[in-house]
Amino acid sequence: MIFLAIRYLLERKRQTILTLLGVFFGTMAFVSVSGYFAGFQGYLVQQLVNNAAQVHIEPRQDYLTDHDLDTAFFGSRTSHVFWGPPPAGVKGYLDIQSPQMWYQRLAADPRVEAYSPTLTAAALFTLGRISVAANLIGCNPKQQSKVTTVADYMIAGKFNDISVGGNRILLGDELMKRLGAGMQQTVLVSVGTSSAVPFKVVGRFYTGSRGLDLQAYGALPDVQKVNLTPNQVNEIAVRLKDYKEADTLARTWSRLAPERVESWADLNLNIQSVFAIQNALRFSMIMTVLIVAGFGIYNILNMTVNQKRQDIAILRALGYDTFDIIILFFSQGLIVGICGTTLGLICGYLFCRYLQTIPFMQATPSNPQGHLHIALTFAIYVQAAALALLSTSIASILPARAAGKLTPIEIIRQGG
Amino acid sequence: MGIIAKNVGKVFGNPAVRVLTEISLEIKDGEFISLTGRSGAGKSTLLYVLSSLDNPTEGSVQISGADITKMDPEELYRFRNQKMGFVFQFHYLIAELTAIQNVLLPAMKYKEERKRQSRAEALLEQFGLKEKLRRYPRQLSGGEQQRLAIARSLIMEPKYLFADEPTGALDTTNAETVMNILRDCSVKQGMTVIMVTHDPDFSLMAQRQIRLADGKIITEKENDK
Repeated sequence: MIFLAIRYLLERKRQTILTLLGVFFGTMAFVSVSGYFAGFQGYLVQQLVNNAAQVHIEPRQDYLTDHDLDTAFFGSRTSHVFWGPPPAGVKGYLDIQSPQMWYQRLAADPRVEAYSPTLTAAALFTLGRISVAANLIGCNPKQQSKVTTVADYMIAGKFNDISVGGNRILLGDELMKRLGAGMQQTVLVSVGTSSAVPFKVVGRFYTGSRGLDLQAYGALPDVQKVNLTPNQVNEIAVRLKDYKEADTLARTWSRLAPERVESWADLNLNIQSVFAIQNALRFSMIMTVLIVAGFGIYNILNMTVNQKRQDIAILRALGYDTFDIIILFFSQGLIVGICGTTLGLICGYLFCRYLQTIPFMQATPSNPQGHLHIALTFAIYVQAAALALLSTSIASILPARAAGKLTPIEIIRQGG
Repeated sequence: MGIIAKNVGKVFGNPAVRVLTEISLEIKDGEFISLTGRSGAGKSTLLYVLSSLDNPTEGSVQISGADITKMDPEELYRFRNQKMGFVFQFHYLIAELTAIQNVLLPAMKYKEERKRQSRAEALLEQFGLKEKLRRYPRQLSGGEQQRLAIARSLIMEPKYLFADEPTGALDTTNAETVMNILRDCSVKQGMTVIMVTHDPDFSLMAQRQIRLADGKIITEKENDK
């Protein structure tokens, strides 16, 4: 039957090519549009996941409610306390209570690739008469390099240069510009009520994000000393072997200790919802194209079944059964579907490769050429093939079943 | 064993129109039968019922001892493929296949093309189509197309050949050629041939002539030819 199906397809080349083009364009559009959207999403995720950590462990700080302090001040015997004004602010701790316990837990967990404890303090940087407020992050540079990509953005000096201690500091490009500072210069850093401490500028980084470039990195002990909080950390950044496990692990860990544990996705919920909308839009758009292609196949196969009634009659008279007739017409749709899908996948892939070479956006340190980010994920190709073949199969089976129901005698009596 | 029809009746449509009424008939193996009658007499319907292409509303039809009205569909398709040949007024050739491929079409059902290839070539040679094996039906004349259709009906060496006005669309010369082929099938190859025809002369070429009117057999004649 496949032999005859192929002969049918070859005999009406124009119809076959038109139907095939429908599936081809649908599949190619799926691959290209999905590649574009997934690439864009992947780029954003990469930026979020790589530049920052995937799981953040921070001290839990909750807002005070009107009656949080009732018992502490008036004991449990009072039924109601009228405050004027009511208590306000946050409760909790400013630092992680038992960092050693976290270090042991993270070191023992096989899903954790690396972790880095940090102390972030709001600091005032002064050079001569210029003062700029910015965050000062104390870290172990070796550990921090494993958790984030900040070391890749160094444009002067090395990230590890602060590891030797002795009040060395790395400044973000924006901070450096605002201070008018240069390499090897000394800037004064003061945190809160502490007196200003001189730090030597040993490196400069540029990420392309103004917020990140308005930060400074120092060795953890140096920052703890400036902040007058020896041995304290207020964040542990964690990198996982599989960033998709971040949500699950964050939920599990948050039940084990008083600290707040959040995944990168928790911190970027708005982006997740944008991704969801994009994906829904992408699928609905592409499904429309494939449904149109399916209708093309359905119409043409229906016409073919009508044109080939005599053939159906003689095949049935010659001993071919219902299943053979269904296969004869179904396989025509499927052959067109498979050819269109294969061509669509190949051309979609080549088109994606071409799109990757187009300079499209402003160059950034992570994308120096400013090229479009196009995903070539295998799953996209599997999805495209599955949807295209599903669409063509449904479109083919209906006329094929109708053909299978025709009896030879009906056709012969009607004169073909 | 032959073909045995018992009290076969056929009613069509709504409102019901009776086309065959209590037809009982026995056809011996190797017989050449012609079914004649006016239009609407029920001769084609009787042929289709006898050949399993249509089901009787009443009665039963036995072929080679098997009741085809109660046969399992799969078994019936195989029986039709292996034991029966069909020739219609219109050739019903498949336009996309060459002459040899059309002849081999019944053999393709059970992947017997190779086994039947030499027989297909022999049949086409016998019917004067040796030089036109690779031609498509549209490249053949009406007479050649009908001979090709007969070759297709004979490829599986059927025991029974059913022909529904096989000469209806042919000129006299081609019609005579086709009739000679059908007679040879019966006389030389021992095939049971049942043919519907309007032509009284061709009807007389059959061993037994059955005449129908209003869905009933009105006369049966045997000749000595």
